[in-house]
Amino acid sequence: MEIKAFTVADLKTALVSEDFWLTKTLPITKHRALSYSRNPRAAADDLVLLVAYQDNQVVGYLGILPDKIFSNDAVYKLGWLTSWWVEPSCATAGVGAILLFKALNAYDQYIGVSGSSREARKALQASQRFMALKPLQGLDIRLRLNVTRDILRGFPALKIFRGLFKIVDGMLDEVMGFRRFFWQRRKNPCQGLTFEYISAIDEEADRFIQRHHQQDLTRKGKPDFNWIMNNPWILSAPLKDAASKKYYFSSRADRFSYLAIKVFEHHPEMMGFLLLKVRNDRMSVVFSYFENRHAASITAAVFHHALVMNMSILSLYDERLVASISEFGCPCWSTKKKSRGFSFSKAFADIPLANSRMQGGDGDLVFY
Amino acid sequence: MPMHAKITQMLFSVIDELNQLRPPDEHLAKDLETPIAGDSGRLDSAGLINLIAVTEQKAAAELGRPLLLTDDRTLSQVNQVFRTLGTLADYIHLRLSEKNDG
Repeated sequence: MEIKAFTVADLKTALVSEDFWLTKTLPITKHRALSYSRNPRAAADDLVLLVAYQDNQVVGYLGILPDKIFSNDAVYKLGWLTSWWVEPSCATAGVGAILLFKALNAYDQYIGVSGSSREARKALQASQRFMALKPLQGLDIRLRLNVTRDILRGFPALKIFRGLFKIVDGMLDEVMGFRRFFWQRRKNPCQGLTFEYISAIDEEADRFIQRHHQQDLTRKGKPDFNWIMNNPWILSAPLKDAASKKYYFSSRADRFSYLAIKVFEHHPEMMGFLLLKVRNDRMSVVFSYFENRHAASITAAVFHHALVMNMSILSLYDERLVASISEFGCPCWSTKKKSRGFSFSKAFADIPLANSRMQGGDGDLVFY
Repeated sequence: MPMHAKITQMLFSVIDELNQLRPPDEHLAKDLETPIAGDSGRLDSAGLINLIAVTEQKAAAELGRPLLLTDDRTLSQVNQVFRTLGTLADYIHLRLSEKNDG
């Protein structure tokens, strides 16, 4: 077995190499490799991908997303683990362990993990090299019923009744729509709010974000958001292409996009900036910047967009938005508490990470 | 007690600790021939990672010696080092002897 380590520079070379893409299993997709290679927080010699080969075939891989975190006046470089996979037939070959420890070594033991599979969590816990941060407490708000999918997932044999379920779904959602219509007429929560959609962070948004990101652990800025919006890991595409069939992690969705919104209220000054992620029928607030006193208006702006865009689920992890939901009172089918966990290697033990704010898109979560 | 015997005892106590987390039918035998990693290995990724972490800990506690099993030298020969408990004991012995010599 051979482990190959790819830096940002190596990945740029791999992108134009034909051989790299010939293996039965791909360790990365081309658009994800492009994204890695354009990461504004990565240096050319940063390790971003480890691949285990056996007989010229991929038997494991681990992606690493270079980033910086800020605590008081200090800046720390770290790598976020992402896309950790081992060929099941090689489960006892030590591939997963080699990949993990090589990643830790490459980043001087400064590694972060955002969200993770059950298997990955088990392995990280087993290493005794990681500590969990208090998870972000969020909400999944169900705006449209969409029970058809849930029923068919649990009882595939009922597929022949799909049409009937969809009609019932539609009728119940219409009833909910009426309730919302009257609720909106009564409360008019977006009164006075105006929006500006941007495809790149402009000077005004940049200044606003810089004023409001000082408490953030990753302090995202203009280059980061421009990179994220222009370099998604998941593409909107109707079908699985050849590459996505050879790649274990998500690389396409029927619908995937980011929406960067500047929010204004009455006066010409910005009151909020939101980066929303839309994946199929789910909208997530991945980054949000505003003052606490504007939480209700920002909540209204988020809800408004989720409804106008026909989303079934709205996910929030900003504690101020979560808190204002109960007073907001917009009719919905249900709200479900969710949490997002972050772990950091013990090299961070002396750094007061918990004093800083994590956002729902931190780590690699903004890309999924 | 000679160092190799101490290392073997230490590894058996590692196995005791690992077995506490495994169902009875998947317990590892306290035998130097017990396969760990490789084609006939008994540990998956999480299991091997745990073995490494516990071994490093116990080496410090029971042998009074710091031991690092995650450096590039070890990682480049995982299948040889972790083939059986015996090969791991030999490797630990080698690493600790090198430290003594150094």
